[in-house]
Amino acid sequence: MVAQSKQSTLTTAGGNVPKAKISQHAGFLHGIRQWWPYYAMMAPGIIFFLIWHYVPIWEAKMAFEQVRIIPPNIWVGLKNFQALFSSPVFYQVLANTLIISGMKIIFVFPVPIMVALLLNEVRSGPLRQSIQSAIYLPHFLSWVVIAGVFVAFLSPTDGAAGQIARGVGLQPINYLTNTGTIRWVLVFTEIWRSAGWDSLLYLAAIISIDTQLYDAAEMDGANRWQKIWHVTLPGIVPTIATLFILNMGMFLSADLNQVINLQNDVNASTIDIIDTYVYRIGLTTGEYSLATAAGLFKAVIGMVLVLVSHLVSKRLTGKGVW
Amino acid sequence: MLRRTLMLSTAAMALVGALAVPAFAQSVPIRIVSKDLLTTNPEDVKEIEAIEAGLKAAGTDVDLQILDLPGSGYADALSVQLLSGDIPDIIYFQGGDQKMAEQGILEDLNPWIEKYPNLKAALWPHNVERLKNYPYLLYIYPPRAPQPVIRQDWLDKLGMAPPTTVEEYEALFKAIHDGDLDGDGTPGNTLGLTGYGNTAELDSIFNQAFGVTATWMKDASGAWVNERVTDAEKAKIEYYARLASEGLFDKEYVTNTFDVKEDKFYTGKAGVIFGSSPEVIDIYGGKMNQAHPGETIKLALLPLPKGPGGRGLAAVDVSKESRGFAVSSVSEHKEEAVKVLDFMASKAGQDIDRMGFEGEQYTKDASGAVTFTDKISTWYARFFNAANWTAPTQQLSPTAQAALDTIKAGFVADNAFVWPSDYAADVDATEQVYRSWVAKFITGEAKIDQWDQFVSEYNAAGGTKLAEYARTVLK
Repeated sequence: MVAQSKQSTLTTAGGNVPKAKISQHAGFLHGIRQWWPYYAMMAPGIIFFLIWHYVPIWEAKMAFEQVRIIPPNIWVGLKNFQALFSSPVFYQVLANTLIISGMKIIFVFPVPIMVALLLNEVRSGPLRQSIQSAIYLPHFLSWVVIAGVFVAFLSPTDGAAGQIARGVGLQPINYLTNTGTIRWVLVFTEIWRSAGWDSLLYLAAIISIDTQLYDAAEMDGANRWQKIWHVTLPGIVPTIATLFILNMGMFLSADLNQVINLQNDVNASTIDIIDTYVYRIGLTTGEYSLATAAGLFKAVIGMVLVLVSHLVSKRLTGKGVW
Repeated sequence: MLRRTLMLSTAAMALVGALAVPAFAQSVPIRIVSKDLLTTNPEDVKEIEAIEAGLKAAGTDVDLQILDLPGSGYADALSVQLLSGDIPDIIYFQGGDQKMAEQGILEDLNPWIEKYPNLKAALWPHNVERLKNYPYLLYIYPPRAPQPVIRQDWLDKLGMAPPTTVEEYEALFKAIHDGDLDGDGTPGNTLGLTGYGNTAELDSIFNQAFGVTATWMKDASGAWVNERVTDAEKAKIEYYARLASEGLFDKEYVTNTFDVKEDKFYTGKAGVIFGSSPEVIDIYGGKMNQAHPGETIKLALLPLPKGPGGRGLAAVDVSKESRGFAVSSVSEHKEEAVKVLDFMASKAGQDIDRMGFEGEQYTKDASGAVTFTDKISTWYARFFNAANWTAPTQQLSPTAQAALDTIKAGFVADNAFVWPSDYAADVDATEQVYRSWVAKFITGEAKIDQWDQFVSEYNAAGGTKLAEYARTVLK
């Protein structure tokens, strides 16, 4: 009786296959045997996530400890968080992070969508491929290289930007040492680097839209713009919603590599973000616990934002990440 | 017969093996991690083998094992390595050592230095002071004191004597700027002076000139204040800002990297740059000639300027070494690890470390006279630059030697001290505020009459708290 209750049953219902009762355990093993090539393909990804994303969660307890090189660590409760929140620059750093991340969400996030929509309208195959190759290329450059390129480009004395400004009778501006412009440099360089590559997902979503919808729209007399607005955009809304929610999860990660490479003495206070602060205080001075506390704070905020975005998206579009 | 032969052979091999095992076992394994010391670099490996041989000849049999860490991001990689609990016997730090010292991972080197005469004799005066305050790091090098250099032919073309006052420096920068020394037909497009990152290089010669005598100075009421908020500092920054506003000092110093700074010098876009050490000044000389093939360009060292506050090199921070070698306190072979460092401070160790190898970096004639080859230009000391070692043949150019002589003659100890880790966030915040405001003053984003605003911000960011602590430390 007990054995019988433990054995939940599955009923296969496929065409002429006879109905059979299979135990859950046996079913799982059967599934593994049947689909093993797919499980094998998934394995590296799963192992990667387990090692690099799940095992470290346990070590986040460092945020509540005083780390000792020679164990054991000493439990200090919320002391590291108190130190973090009482730091004279932390709130400035937090504000910078929110501003830069907000600017990126508003100004960077829509660009790949627009790029994908525009690319989809290019009818000539070779032209589209050339454009795609050109706009994907910056994605493969490191921020060190990109920073070098933009420092040279934006130099008011030797850079192209300075020469253009002089050419039209304007006084050249050093955008990298101007606290009013540096955040826009971050936004622009982010667009330059990632807009092309990030448009790939949207382009894939656009390609998967049923072409009959376009045919129907055309029969109804829709022009190109109307087809984009009434067919293409609604067709990629689930992709947009999913990526928006995932982006919200990374909201407080305003890109360490980008900022650290474009940071200098003048703009440091304007673009000093949580990640650069954690890097400077945590790694260079060995305050690992403080750095972990800041990282954990960031992760919790990210998790909350994901949940809120998911719920809002579910309500507005009916789509979420799960 | 065969059986007996086999048995005898086996017994003989076992005997040889048994004798060999203790022989191998005598080598004490010493694990060393250092920046740019890699098993993939044949020159590093060769030097390590030479050190092992030198130590063995001196009666210490060690097996030096290099731990490879990437040169780029070395400090971060080392922190992660140590945090994982893997602690080598000899560790080269480039920051991040204080936390390790606080946890008792690093050996107090002072008792060892007393015991080992080579180490003691090799120390520079600032090393002695730093070891008194922080006995965990050893970095036997002359203090880093950047000094300015100019092309000798440009100085000759200008017909000016080397500047000896801050006013004469300004006049020299103006003459460089207004002249057409680079010969491109456009006067006014050459900077008098360029730099990179921050103003630390300039401070090296202008601090004393403007009366910034130490990190902590007494105000009118006799209380200790950080020099960064003093009138002397204000006068110095005002001078820098004036140079920049007149196009004499590179406003883009903030975004310059060291190679951009050098490039501006070699290509004639800037007339004067600072060399961070005598060796670096010689590297500049070599690169300048590479950039101008067919010409022989010599560099001239500019003297220290006299100003309203006096003359001299900036006071040297003796609170601690900012980088250097440490010995692990949990090492099972501390004695041998210290012996390795002592050997590197000895004449035999310095000969290897500073000159490389006979037949490669130098040659010797029948009389024993040493001649350096071209390969010496790419050789560098992996360990120390001992104060008591002299090269058998002059290694430095006269300009670089003059820079070294200035450093030797101009050592003044600073009164900065090591901050407890509880003050790390305040030190970081005040540093950010200071660097940011200085750059704003110089680039023109802020006017010098906003100085009081800077001081208020600096104090609010932790300056007041730090000064209060400093008053408990300084007498």
